[in-house]
Amino acid sequence: MADILRILFNSLQTGSTYALAALGIALIWKTSRTTNFAQGSIGTLNAYVAGILLLSWGWSIWLVALASLVTAFLTGILIDTFIIRPAAKVGAISKQIITLGLIMVIVGLIPLLFGVDPYRLPSFIPGASVDIAGATLRYNTVFVIAVSLGLMGFLFWFIQNTRWGLAIRVTAASETTAKLMGVPTRTVTMISWASAAMMGTLAALIVAPQASVNPNMLLDVQVSAFFAGVLGGFTTFAGPVIGSFIIAFARNSAAFYLSDIWGNVIVYSLILVFLYFKPYGLCGKKAVKKV
Amino acid sequence: MSDTPHASNGRSALLRVLRERPALQFVLLGAILLVFAVLPHLGLMRFSTMSIFAYTGIYTVVALGMNILLGFSGLISLGTAGFIGAGALGMGVFLQMGLPFELAALAVLVISGSLGALIGLFSLKVESIYLAIATLFIGEILRQIYTSVPIFGGEFISIGPVKLFGFLELNQILQQQRSVLYAIIILVLVAAMVLMHNLVKSRTGRALMAMSRSEHAAQAMGVSLLKYRLTAFITATVYATSGGILYALYFQNAPTRAWTLNISLLIIAMVVVGGFKSIIGTFLGAIIIYGLPNLLLKDLLGDISYVFSGALIIVVILFYPRGFVFVWQDIKRLFVTAKKRTGTEAPR
Repeated sequence: MADILRILFNSLQTGSTYALAALGIALIWKTSRTTNFAQGSIGTLNAYVAGILLLSWGWSIWLVALASLVTAFLTGILIDTFIIRPAAKVGAISKQIITLGLIMVIVGLIPLLFGVDPYRLPSFIPGASVDIAGATLRYNTVFVIAVSLGLMGFLFWFIQNTRWGLAIRVTAASETTAKLMGVPTRTVTMISWASAAMMGTLAALIVAPQASVNPNMLLDVQVSAFFAGVLGGFTTFAGPVIGSFIIAFARNSAAFYLSDIWGNVIVYSLILVFLYFKPYGLCGKKAVKKV
Repeated sequence: MSDTPHASNGRSALLRVLRERPALQFVLLGAILLVFAVLPHLGLMRFSTMSIFAYTGIYTVVALGMNILLGFSGLISLGTAGFIGAGALGMGVFLQMGLPFELAALAVLVISGSLGALIGLFSLKVESIYLAIATLFIGEILRQIYTSVPIFGGEFISIGPVKLFGFLELNQILQQQRSVLYAIIILVLVAAMVLMHNLVKSRTGRALMAMSRSEHAAQAMGVSLLKYRLTAFITATVYATSGGILYALYFQNAPTRAWTLNISLLIIAMVVVGGFKSIIGTFLGAIIIYGLPNLLLKDLLGDISYVFSGALIIVVILFYPRGFVFVWQDIKRLFVTAKKRTGTEAPR
């Protein structure tokens, strides 16, 4: 029982980071029609901002988190205005490779701006924990899960019930039509990139205390977020979130109960088999293509 | 490697022959690259520079396979790094088991070719971003196996001197033998280019292109999706694995942790930046993405070279979305219009 609970708590925390990253990727996929390979790198860059503020000015973790979310917002807007917008007419695959160029620029800039030493970031709520049936549950974990779920809930509500949410949905359905209907699609994609960058940064801030702030800190999150998106289906916003928690739970329990070495391999293979029978994921629908 | 007779006939004759027989272009390129095998021995070039060219050659072989997928078939794979790793590490394992080099290479190619066939079957059901990420799954599964399964060792597999055809023993540490290894890479590269040229100019190439434009139209014309999807993915994986085998041959050790998504993305970048559907363009892409940063920029710019090559990718894609190889057409057009203008203005 204690083992199951421990795996569950752990998976909920890692699942939240995957879900945040996956939502960002799905948002960009829907509004800009490109797979953002740089989602992890953008988050990492802004986690460095938090790290250096904490180290040099001694601000509290809450304040540096806020500051790094603001810089994330700005990074998203800059990337959309100067790189993604001008590439509107570029082919689909070339557009994806632009985000690879972005990774190289960011990963190259990090040592120049912040030096080569990794930074440390503390947890939001350090120390305190509670025992539930033999498994320790840290308050920080509870906080992380609550914030992520709250944020995602807000996003779902926003997309379903507000004018701007409607604009996002219309842009996702067809950018050209949306533009003709007077939807400011430029602003929509800009805000999408900004919020995706913020979600990536939040994931980075959650991951950072477990190791350190280093250029590869979000590699696993980035790849898992892609997997979650495919498992859940990219056509809905709920799909990637559900997929994230399934992947986190499956990987943790496979590593614990089956095998440390083969756990991930087994889970990935099972998902591939699943994809063969449901090619658009759990919640996804087939896009109707006119010939 | 006999370009001298043409050269004596004058430049325009050479250009005409090259245009008529594109395979000769690749041979000429190979001949130029072979010069770099000799230069270090004359003290005109560092041996490390030769290794950079060797690496560029290996990357080109892999990227050619990727171009079959991306350029000709309109498919994408994010698992390439896994297959390069399969070539390098597979050779390591089989050679340590005592298999002769040729047999080991064949075994590795058959194994990864059948994995490629599996992906081909998979691609009939799954499409677009889902297919791309399905191949990323394959790449990650392979990477997990390399890093955590004990037979692949810890950080890397040390291969040591290789014996080719049962008598030619080549050791990477000895400079003369390293040049021979480099020459083998270039020969394989030229062979890969000629082979690909023949493949895409044949019925198969036309079928692949038909499939990439419209699956439904291609099927209506009697193109079997199953057959050509398999062809595309098997060719791409075999090219990628050959790159890995060449890596094992030249560097004679195979790292286990290097085969991440970033390598796969770099390979795609080579095709995108160099030029879709262009064989010379693929080589150009490998030079721009790998060769240039390592040959020049590292010395000139130091730490900032990585940022620069990232920015270069973005800029090239923004201005040459079909590939950098088309820069020649633009230059030619500029030249022609300039000529016309001076021609019409002269009588006034």
